[in-house]
Amino acid sequence: MSYGSTIKVPFGPQHPALKEPEHFLFEVDGDTVVSVKPRIGYVYRGMEKAFELRTYHQNMYLAERICGICSHAHTTCYAQAVEELLGSEIPPRAKYIRVIIAELERLHSHSLWVGIAAHEVGFDTLFMYVWRDREAVMDLLEAISGNRVNYAMNTIGGVRRDLNDEAVQKIRGVLDRFEKNVKGYSEIIGKEQTFVKRTRGVGVLKPRDAVSLCAVGPTLRASGIKSDVRLDDPYAAYDEIPFNVITDDGCDVFGRTVVRCGEMLESINIIRHALDHMPGGKLKVSVSRTVPPNETVSRVEAPRGELMHYAKSNGTTKPERYRVRSPTLANLAAVCQTLVGVHLADIPIILAGIDPCFSCMDRLAFVDRRGGAWSCTAEELGGGRGQ
Amino acid sequence: MIAYDIFQMLVFPGILFLFCLAFLYEWIDRKLFARVQSRYGPLYTGPSGILQPLADFIKLLAKEDIVPAACDRHLFMWVPIIYAVLPLTALFIIPVAAQTGLVAFEGDLIFLVFLFALTTIVVFLAGWSSMNRFSIIGGVRSALQMLGFEIPLGLAIIGMAIAAQSLSISEIVRWQSGNWWGIWLQPIGFAVIMICILAELEYVPFDIPEAETEIVAGWQTEFGGRRLALFRLGKDLETVLVSALVAALYLGGPQQLGFLPPVAGFLIKSVAVLALLSFARALFARFRIDQMVSGMWTYLLPLAILQIVLIQFGIGR
Amino acid sequence: MSDLVERLKAPLKEGLIDVKASRGRRVFVRVRRESFRDAVSHIISGIGVRHLSAITGVDMGGEIELLYHFAYNSVVLTLGVSVPKGSPTMPTVTDLVPGAVFYEREAHEFLGAVFEGHPDLSPLLLPEGWPEGVYPLRKENDYNKLHETELRKV
Repeated sequence: MSYGSTIKVPFGPQHPALKEPEHFLFEVDGDTVVSVKPRIGYVYRGMEKAFELRTYHQNMYLAERICGICSHAHTTCYAQAVEELLGSEIPPRAKYIRVIIAELERLHSHSLWVGIAAHEVGFDTLFMYVWRDREAVMDLLEAISGNRVNYAMNTIGGVRRDLNDEAVQKIRGVLDRFEKNVKGYSEIIGKEQTFVKRTRGVGVLKPRDAVSLCAVGPTLRASGIKSDVRLDDPYAAYDEIPFNVITDDGCDVFGRTVVRCGEMLESINIIRHALDHMPGGKLKVSVSRTVPPNETVSRVEAPRGELMHYAKSNGTTKPERYRVRSPTLANLAAVCQTLVGVHLADIPIILAGIDPCFSCMDRLAFVDRRGGAWSCTAEELGGGRGQ
Repeated sequence: MIAYDIFQMLVFPGILFLFCLAFLYEWIDRKLFARVQSRYGPLYTGPSGILQPLADFIKLLAKEDIVPAACDRHLFMWVPIIYAVLPLTALFIIPVAAQTGLVAFEGDLIFLVFLFALTTIVVFLAGWSSMNRFSIIGGVRSALQMLGFEIPLGLAIIGMAIAAQSLSISEIVRWQSGNWWGIWLQPIGFAVIMICILAELEYVPFDIPEAETEIVAGWQTEFGGRRLALFRLGKDLETVLVSALVAALYLGGPQQLGFLPPVAGFLIKSVAVLALLSFARALFARFRIDQMVSGMWTYLLPLAILQIVLIQFGIGR
Repeated sequence: MSDLVERLKAPLKEGLIDVKASRGRRVFVRVRRESFRDAVSHIISGIGVRHLSAITGVDMGGEIELLYHFAYNSVVLTLGVSVPKGSPTMPTVTDLVPGAVFYEREAHEFLGAVFEGHPDLSPLLLPEGWPEGVYPLRKENDYNKLHETELRKV
């Protein structure tokens, strides 16, 4: 069923499949995608420039708000970068608390993703169930930190809040129930034929391409590559906590689902281990406001993959340069590769497969005072000449 | 008696009754769908939210009607009306309150199949007239989907006609009151028709033409206000139509149950069919169009043919 | 880690300007623009580093410094090259590391670095109608002034 020429189908910036605005222009022949051109930057906020104008402590608030769901990963990465510029070492209890909160964040982020993936293929029932159970984790995080996202647990030199015994008890209770739920979902996902048919063999990313396109996170691990910053380049307390890196050889969206479900179970084990072995002691060390000239790279395994910050200081209280590279940007090249040659119907689930967090990916959006109108003439709409 | 005929046509079991049924069935569907998903469903409008579909309808009637500048105006105007009227017409030939429908003639079964095909063409025209690439894709998918389900649907319908030796739905219903119900005689046919009905109604797993996450709202994208209200009414009437059809062909249709009037029997049976449809909607993910069409031709069509062959051998008559 | 540095020093010789390792797992190597491509191909084929984490551009006043962050197990090997602001041209690495496409586009957009041989240097993040020649991350562009940037009518 070919129209002779191809139609350009825009995905976004507003589209029900995208939870955040981005623009992908697909060239479609009948039902098959011929090419894809991404245009990102709809939520770009000028963060990298803004970092240079504020002091290191003020930038902590900015780093938190780069993204809602990965907020703790960003602040951990930021705090680590500045602590390394200063050459200071944080107390062990702070490291363990950072790990616990990071893994709780991974739990709620991955369960959000499972719900979204189910919704993208039309499986609304699983979406409702997963999000209902995810509420337990969100309530737990609210009890610990006071907020469901943007926990503000980190500060330069350590953490700001402690986990008392009551919080620890609550965490254990929620983890037990959540573990049962996750096992249930993994079973449904594996057995429900309609879901499997929609995700197996879809969005295939061969291992060689995954490595050469510098993919990160579950997208990379679903192609069989065992690469995880927590294992390769341990930070916080990960060098003291044993855990498995989940990989899958499927190379498709189903593989990415399996990896994320497995990672949720691993996170539960990591949190339990951390709670059992939590050292006592101080929560933070005091640090100086001026940072001597230095440069460093800080890496963290965010729920979506490897998050990397580059920091350069110049001896003042404000950074010289601060660079944020979030995992979704790293996966963008890989996902564009997987989108060529697929059915139109598979686009949302493939895009969802990398767990896009476009707020992290863009970091600046200047005032959108467009004078020019986005007008499309009838010929363009009918003939499909593009925007 | 002209007055009685007019009363029957307009009120019971005619247009007004059918509209009420349409809203009632939508409420049942939404409630069941929600409860499976551990949600409440409609809750506040009327007792247990039963007036919600009516409220939605009235709200949509009051909304602004936007017509895209590039669309085909005549088609755009007429398509919602035709889409709402077609199932209503079809419902006149299905027995609802008595053993015969309001209109019954030999061959009305074929007329019904024709109306189904017409509905799909109307959906395609809806997508086409909107001049929006999402709508066009939705309309094309709808036509493709029909290629998949139409033949098995026709075969499943004909199966009961062969058993009852008649092409009139009212005859088939009358035949069943003296014999076994269709579902016991031809269970394969019942399974086939249930699946084809899901495709015809565009319910998950076959809501491909209207896939929200892929093509916004498919062929309904550009319609708003009154037109969307008519589309939703048409969809609800279609739900009543297919439940009534399956109840009539395979479950014996309106029958006297003890002291309850025949219409109660009809309601119970068609609501049972509706419940099956709602559960199917909740339990599956959405297929892709190529998977759907190839699945239909690979699995469903042979089953439907098998049923017909069995009938020829005397099983299921 | 130190043998990593040794393995780099040998083939590069004078191309290598400076090596710094603030702590064990973070190595910063600065090379000249001319020996940059040799350094990258040596890193990839000779040492076996495959993953490019990001490309950072830093405005140093008269020069733009481009930092290529390579991740190799626990070590982050950063390769730094300085190009003059007046003619900030650099050879592309997209043939050696296909994953660098978007990073180079971003560096071009925000700092004005031109990557010769890049398949498509069109803007990625900035809105359409952004004036040519205004590179937001350069130090001369004040943050508040950038807010007032007029977009061309598209």
